[in-house]
Amino acid sequence: MRNVLRPVLALFTLCTLLFASPLTAQHLLVPMDDAQQNHLKAYGLAFFALKAGDRAEWFLNYRGGSFLLPDDPALRRKAALDGVTVVPVDDGAVAAARKEIAAGNMDAITLEKAPHIAIYAPAKSPPWDDAVTLALRYAGIEYTQIWDDEILKSDLSKFDWIHLHHEDFTGQENKLHLGFRDAPWFIEQRDNDLTAAQRNGYSNIPALKKAVAGRLHDFVEKGGFLFAMCGATETLELAMAAQNVDIAGPFFDGTPMDPDADAKMDWVRAFAFQNAHLEMSPGVNAMSDIDGHQVNVPTRRQPLGQFTLFNFSAKFDPVASMLVQNHRQVIPDFYGVTTSFSKAVLKSGDVILATEDGAPWVKYLHGDYGKGSWTYLGGHDPEDPQHNIGALPTDLSLHPNSPGYRLILNNVLFPAAKKKPLKT
Amino acid sequence: MGRVSGEAIRSVLILVVGVALQASPKPVLAQAQTAAANRAFDLEQAGRLRDAIAAWRQVIATGLTGQGVLGLERVFAQLAQDDSVLPTLDSLLVQTPADKILRAVQLRVLRSLGRERDARAAFDEWVKLAPHDPVPYREYAGQLLADGRAAAADTVLQQASASLGSTKALTIEVAELRAALGLWAAAAAAWRDAMTTEEYLEQTVVYSLQAAPIAQRDSVRAVLRASPAASSKKVLGTLELQWGAARDGWRAIAALTAADSAFDTWNDFAQEAERQGAWLAARDAFAAMNRLRPAPSTALRAASSAISGGEPVSALELIASARSQLQPTAIRTQVLPLQIRALTQLGRAAEAEALVARDSAMLDAGTRRAYARQIAWGWIRAGQVEKARASLAGASGDDEDEVGAWIALYDGDLAKARAGLRHPTETTAEIVTAMALLSRTKADSSRAAGAAFLALARGDSAQAATRFERAADELPDAAPLLLALAARVQSARHQDAPAIAIWRRILTQYATAPEAAESDLEWARTLRRKGDIAGAVDHLEHLILTYPQSALVPQARRELEAVRMGNAQ
Repeated sequence: MRNVLRPVLALFTLCTLLFASPLTAQHLLVPMDDAQQNHLKAYGLAFFALKAGDRAEWFLNYRGGSFLLPDDPALRRKAALDGVTVVPVDDGAVAAARKEIAAGNMDAITLEKAPHIAIYAPAKSPPWDDAVTLALRYAGIEYTQIWDDEILKSDLSKFDWIHLHHEDFTGQENKLHLGFRDAPWFIEQRDNDLTAAQRNGYSNIPALKKAVAGRLHDFVEKGGFLFAMCGATETLELAMAAQNVDIAGPFFDGTPMDPDADAKMDWVRAFAFQNAHLEMSPGVNAMSDIDGHQVNVPTRRQPLGQFTLFNFSAKFDPVASMLVQNHRQVIPDFYGVTTSFSKAVLKSGDVILATEDGAPWVKYLHGDYGKGSWTYLGGHDPEDPQHNIGALPTDLSLHPNSPGYRLILNNVLFPAAKKKPLKT
Repeated sequence: MGRVSGEAIRSVLILVVGVALQASPKPVLAQAQTAAANRAFDLEQAGRLRDAIAAWRQVIATGLTGQGVLGLERVFAQLAQDDSVLPTLDSLLVQTPADKILRAVQLRVLRSLGRERDARAAFDEWVKLAPHDPVPYREYAGQLLADGRAAAADTVLQQASASLGSTKALTIEVAELRAALGLWAAAAAAWRDAMTTEEYLEQTVVYSLQAAPIAQRDSVRAVLRASPAASSKKVLGTLELQWGAARDGWRAIAALTAADSAFDTWNDFAQEAERQGAWLAARDAFAAMNRLRPAPSTALRAASSAISGGEPVSALELIASARSQLQPTAIRTQVLPLQIRALTQLGRAAEAEALVARDSAMLDAGTRRAYARQIAWGWIRAGQVEKARASLAGASGDDEDEVGAWIALYDGDLAKARAGLRHPTETTAEIVTAMALLSRTKADSSRAAGAAFLALARGDSAQAATRFERAADELPDAAPLLLALAARVQSARHQDAPAIAIWRRILTQYATAPEAAESDLEWARTLRRKGDIAGAVDHLEHLILTYPQSALVPQARRELEAVRMGNAQ
């Protein structure tokens, strides 16, 4: 009798081993190390779960910053469609993972709601791409596009997170008139901005953008999260510090810069930088000495290297840890209107998230201001290091494992984290 | 009295030599200048840079200041001592302040040292010395453009326009600037104007404008087409060729006349088109050359391009025009191969056979075998399998075995076809398709499958699709493959409804077959093309979720992404 049953039981056991795990798992682990097929869409999967009302957990420093999601047919379907690697796991496996997390420089952060995201971008796309818009669209993360009118007139507190990319808050259109003043897209952009300024009661573009910068300053001060890349980092800071001084060249407001502008800057209003020096020549395509690379000034331009993400203590610095979750520690650098941030102008409270060894600049910064926080990432497009105006947008389906783009998406999910008391 | 330094003695000697040479009769001076320059150049070439510096200084002392300073600039640059040329320049500029070579070197050196402000001051000084001369503007703007500093160059050219009254003397720099700024239509217009006086610029213009992005090319075309000048037409012809529109390129230059050196332009165009495999454009150009200056070699080259381009009828006309001018031996070696290719491509195998039979005695065995193979293909295209078989009779060799295997396939003899096609001489799409069937089915014969392949070989795609579908019933073990072939043919014929019916049948009846994923993908593509985005999404999602192991999944994901992003074709 026992001999008859043995093959049947063996078959049953085999079937259980083969099929039980996927069918009875309580969770889906989304590994974010090299086992992941599509890191960028994995963030979209986590966002999708939060949007559906599920709770998720972010396992900081565990397998590249993995996510733990509930096992749900809709999530499995989305993961399969998007090519996101998920591993069905039961409570036992999760308990083992938690034990490992507790023992090392790791932590589990609860993600409890999908953040409301706004991207500051003009209605008509300019001839350059916006890495954050590209990342969010590719990952399938919803966002609202806002521009000057919305910033000035609507209630920004409805957004958890506002992203800024390439825009120039000094109102000088990134000084692109030096090379493109006759280009139809430049003329159209300038005309649109001028119309917006007049519509909102400002006489010129620098005045309009200064007001927009002031609103963004207030948004952060009242508890909002702000993420900026490329030229928006430097120009937002300059515009906030220059609320009472003319720092725009004559092309945009008809008057030269205040010759004492440097001395009149109020850096207390800025988030990240202090004591920076303005570029006083209207003919030099730079704004200040904040940017370490000065890509548009040939005689000052610095070559690209690679930057290293700082390894924070997940348990003591969970916010900084979230922002640097990655499957790569060293990432090739990429140019932007502002590529990096000179160490000489950083405020003492800035948290440096990534730096280039031996260089006098840093790449990635974070800090708190008022009740909110800000994060700055230098450069324009992590997968197009030399990005030129008019170049085709990056096709992210060719870069599903981009470590640079992961940094952007870390910022997207960071506002979803449930706040827990800091241990320091 | 202090000790006199070696440098001072050398300077005095150079001065003495210089004075002596100044005083010499002119031929002697010229000889001395040449000898000094040759010596300096030899020392530079030999890598004896320190000696070369002294030698170039001697060249300057002989009166060849321009050549000497250029030599010093090169040598000091190699030693990474660019600034060392500046003292020499300064003293020479005191004597000849408006010397163009000296000024150009000065600008270049100051800019290479990063002394932009000094360079600008030097430029301003030069302009002041030669207020009506376009050269300072040209030199400075050109250097800035070479550095990619388009905005700065723009400023210089605007200053030139204001000072000189126009930028007419700077058309090349203006054109380069506009291209650098991405103002392609304006760049084309500037180049067009520049070419009216400087015809040698054609290649430069092509190089500059070929970088125009696709969206801007029409504006470049419009500017060049609007010009009656031959130079604009030639540039447009070459640009179209570079942009992958060879026939448009030919149309741009077809109307050139003998006065425009049309023959040489067409010849260059034809050879480049031939190199790119743009056969019909090459045919047109060679044929036009033949009309202008009839030559059998040109006519035959045109014929060869026509055959390669799939237009054998025009090839036969060109061959006829060449034939009358050639000797019998040349006809046999140059004309006959092309005639056989053209006739067999047209399915006129009987005529090809007659031509070969007429010259048979003069042909070696290898050539006869090659012709027999081509003629067999000709018969196949005519649907005459028996005659194809007969044309191969008596011939032997691997090639014939392969052709024999094809004939066997058309006869439905799958076993023989399988054996003969085991080691194909080339890997064409037809071979891959045939091998896919032969390896998929265990059957040794299928008349329906053979008839389908024969219809395909004859170019009868409607019949081919019907017969592949019918063969699916005859060969159940290869049914999904045969149905997929039928659907592919229908899709290529833009017969979407029957293609979709076949894909539906594959997905319903053969859901686990490898062709099921392909059916989903092709069905989705067809729906996307027709604007049914939701339907396309359904099929792409079905593919990804149902066939996760399929090699087509990554492609399906990409297309799903594109459909969702609204990039419908």
